[in-house]
Amino acid sequence: MSIITAAGNSAPGPGLAPGVLEKAKSRRDRRTFLALLAPAILGLVASFVLPLAYMVRMSFNEGGPDGVVEEGFTLRHYIEPLGDSYFWKVTLDTFQMGLVVGVLCVLVSYPVAMFLARSTSKFKGLLTALAIAPLLTSAVVRTYGWMVILGDTGLVNSSLKSMGFITDPLKLTNNMTGVTIGLVEIFMPYAILAMISGFGRLSPQLEEAAGSLGASKFKVFTRVTLPLTLPGVLTAFLMVFVLSVSTFITPRLLGGGAVQVLATEIYDQTTGLLNWPFAAALSVILLVLFGIIISVYQRLTKKIGA
Amino acid sequence: MKSYTRRGFAALALTAASALALSACGGGAEAGKEAGSPTSGEVNLIAYSGIWEEQYTKAVIEPFKAKYPDIKINFVSKRSSAEMLSALQGQKGSPGTDVAIMDNSVSTTGNRQGLFEKLDTSAVPNMANVPEKFRNKDGYGPVAMLDAVGLVYDTATFPTAPDSWKVLWDPANKGKVNIVAPPSLLGISLTAITAKMEGEDYTQSIEKATAKLKELAPSVQSFAPNPDEYQSVITGQTVIGLGQNARAQYYSDQSKKKIGVAVPKEGSVYQINTINLVKGAPHSAAAKTFINYALSAEAQSAFAKALFYAPSVTNAELPAEVKARVVATDNPDITALDIDFLSKARDKWTQEWKRQIITK
Repeated sequence: MSIITAAGNSAPGPGLAPGVLEKAKSRRDRRTFLALLAPAILGLVASFVLPLAYMVRMSFNEGGPDGVVEEGFTLRHYIEPLGDSYFWKVTLDTFQMGLVVGVLCVLVSYPVAMFLARSTSKFKGLLTALAIAPLLTSAVVRTYGWMVILGDTGLVNSSLKSMGFITDPLKLTNNMTGVTIGLVEIFMPYAILAMISGFGRLSPQLEEAAGSLGASKFKVFTRVTLPLTLPGVLTAFLMVFVLSVSTFITPRLLGGGAVQVLATEIYDQTTGLLNWPFAAALSVILLVLFGIIISVYQRLTKKIGA
Repeated sequence: MKSYTRRGFAALALTAASALALSACGGGAEAGKEAGSPTSGEVNLIAYSGIWEEQYTKAVIEPFKAKYPDIKINFVSKRSSAEMLSALQGQKGSPGTDVAIMDNSVSTTGNRQGLFEKLDTSAVPNMANVPEKFRNKDGYGPVAMLDAVGLVYDTATFPTAPDSWKVLWDPANKGKVNIVAPPSLLGISLTAITAKMEGEDYTQSIEKATAKLKELAPSVQSFAPNPDEYQSVITGQTVIGLGQNARAQYYSDQSKKKIGVAVPKEGSVYQINTINLVKGAPHSAAAKTFINYALSAEAQSAFAKALFYAPSVTNAELPAEVKARVVATDNPDITALDIDFLSKARDKWTQEWKRQIITK
């Protein structure tokens, strides 16, 4: 998306005088521009567009239970899941997971991002680095960490037990609760980064002005701070939502086989049952469905002026 | 001009000839023909990862290297047989792999798809020691080792080994059970075992088995234990679950008998690995040398001692203490799964588990 906008902005504007010199210059500009873009476009085509095209083609092939793929054209792998209530349940669960993780992640990251954006401390750089430092460890490692913390004999349950709050351990892993907790923490650095960069419009003078004109702290927040930081919030939510609906590792590990989302379903079909055409069709459905949701979301956020 | 053309033609002929020669010794040897030398070169082996790779390397590959110092073995490891098959399917046409050791149910599929070569005693003399029942009826790769599915238990919770699968349903173990759900072979095996216990022929229906497994589901802590089904019991997350006898025996030693493994009285299901020569293998001659070694009494007993897989050859001698811990290959209570049936039913059974059994 951003590439297209950038291209649109950098192309020579229509307001240029139609002189020969300018024309030649603009042609040269365009050529330089294309030459500069070429490596990135080539890389993108080879690593993303071609595999994607291959996947779309694969989804129309006939697939047998033995992992045999027969070249052909069938819509079976689309018709079957779309008419299957189990598939819709998995899709709905995936959507719900994205929504819940997105909202929770934004809620817990907002204060951190706000603090980092406003901080004038000389340690600001260090603090920002600390906030995003978890990105340096792989999501797998962090998920294992959560398994240890949330397990039946883990930190949370054993502390609660020793303090006498519970007798039986709370079920915090091998279900959606564990997956949600894990994902919120894992995606927090992304949300924080997205919000810091989206908080550009926020200026302390505006808040001070509202305060000096008699607005309560709560009113300053709801009428000034929040609207000004909304673009960052909405971007962060979208980012976390997208990452959540497509994530595989955490639902797989913390879900204990009991959490079925589209990504785990695709994994089972690909590596366990070797039904590549069906897995490809599910991937295309995931892409199209969430593509639509995201574009609607972006249109809506543009409408509310974010 | 004339000489130029002639020289050009000669050059072209030379190029064509060398290209032909290259293609003959390079990737994709013709079916049935030898490629490379039987005593030198390399062999690309695809097999299981983790502990299996570690122990097979130690017990079989290293002694093989000592015997054939000019053959290099490249071990490509995969987490499951399905992943191996998927890799081999991707290479069909120009295979890069020579030998595959994988589950019988998956290698049968490979045979059907024409991914593997037939083998006989003239190419692999040690096949003479593989009894008829462990040879493929169509002449494809024979059984290389056997194991069975068992109950893996925490020895502190169960001072005496549980002797029935029914222990999984015991309310005392609620929330402490781990089951690797299908498409894993463990979950598939439990479905077949439960069907048998419920007096059902699984090739006809698994209705009763599904109902019974549904009763089990609330007791199950994880349907995808991590890091695996053995560590789940060793670390105390669960006290009982499914596992393979061989690996469980090994981990039992590793964990100082923290876990044990038992094959219950109702019987069990074999897990059978075959050794297969890839069709058009780039180093088929050396590959046959390796397969022959893998089926030797020496390699078979070494691997049984290392990872407790039962040998598939009749001349492998095992010490009594090892023999007691590998599965008996003639136990009438342990059956082989109907592979042809399961290749079609695997998907259906997996869906049945997801829709009926694993519900939150």
